[in-house]
Amino acid sequence: MEKRNGSASDGWEGPTGRRTDEWSECLTQIAATGDRAAFTRFFRHFAPLIKSFALSGSSLSAAHADELVQEVMLKAWQKASAFNPEKAAASTWVYTIARNCRTDMFRRLQKFDTPLAADDFMPDQEPSEPFAMLQSRRSRDTIHALMGTLPPDQAQILAKVYMEGKSHAEAAAELDLPLGTVKSRVRLAIQKLQIQIDR
Amino acid sequence: MAKFHPSVDLLTEYVAGILPLAQSACISAHLNYCPQCQQQSARLQDLGAVLFDSLTPVPVGDALLNTVLARLDEEPPLSYRRAQDPAVGRLPALLQRLMKGDFSELSWNKITSSLGISYLKTGDPGYEFALYHIKAGGKIPEHTHRGSEMTLVLQGGFSDAAGSYHEGDFLFREASDTHAPTALQSEDCICLAVLDAPLRFTGWKYRWMNPFLQLRAG
Repeated sequence: MEKRNGSASDGWEGPTGRRTDEWSECLTQIAATGDRAAFTRFFRHFAPLIKSFALSGSSLSAAHADELVQEVMLKAWQKASAFNPEKAAASTWVYTIARNCRTDMFRRLQKFDTPLAADDFMPDQEPSEPFAMLQSRRSRDTIHALMGTLPPDQAQILAKVYMEGKSHAEAAAELDLPLGTVKSRVRLAIQKLQIQIDR
Repeated sequence: MAKFHPSVDLLTEYVAGILPLAQSACISAHLNYCPQCQQQSARLQDLGAVLFDSLTPVPVGDALLNTVLARLDEEPPLSYRRAQDPAVGRLPALLQRLMKGDFSELSWNKITSSLGISYLKTGDPGYEFALYHIKAGGKIPEHTHRGSEMTLVLQGGFSDAAGSYHEGDFLFREASDTHAPTALQSEDCICLAVLDAPLRFTGWKYRWMNPFLQLRAG
């Protein structure tokens, strides 16, 4: 049974990330058979999230937000065969496309004359460890489970940076905080979510 | 294996897609040398995906769905079907695209007897994106920065008072740090440097050049 515009908590139903699998399967099916009914389900789930992402921080107008939804969904259809469920969940894949399209749209709106598109910034070779997917799923489950334990001021900064697309400096100016405070909140949040890697 | 890395908050800005284009290109190039930073970025991207999943959906009308459905038969852009330009040799593909050739085909501006600079066009109006070629054992005159400087070692290595840096190492300096990098004796050093304000030489011998060191952004 399809859930339209489910609430945020519907996205994750326990440690297996079952619902994420649903969309990965759906995307695999789109790639294999060009199934338009499957694509319609996929659209009804992701388009409202992409629109929400586009409108976060009122960075884009409603018209540009719709344009972004259209661009991202069309790209998802066209690139579906490049989706590898071993490497990422469908929603991580869609998020990455949405982020890249939004970055490109910002640069277009600022009339950048550049030979580079956001897709060009992806590393030449992605890590091909056999456990990449398992690790990613685990880290997503951990992040999801720990998100609720973050102090609101840290969660707020993460939302500003990731969803509203504000730099640390912009977030600091908006919240009237020293830049160092914003940076340390980001670092603390990353430690608490257990995604810091020894480098 | 790279020993000097971007800080985790810098990587966060990179992953969130909000770093200026030129800086983003420099970090992306570092990731090509550094599996640990690639892994760290992947985890930071997972965080982005979790935040994306928990956004409050904003209703999208059927008109938009129908517009997209009507466009599904369009030819996808060619770039979707092939992989990125494959990297030849060890340089990141993104840099090779901007260089349009190898180091010897670039035009180098000779700044001192041991330092040449080649400016690459990224289209970012706020940042200069340049390759520095320092002859083996050569020195960049002591200088300070009016802004920030990102450096990535592409070939050979150099050292300054704080340490010594080799292929793939990444450095980020904020305004007003003074240093005088010297290339390793064994081979020429080539670095990528991303600046938002021109260098300023501090030694008496080169100070006269400061007015000529304009930022070549774009």
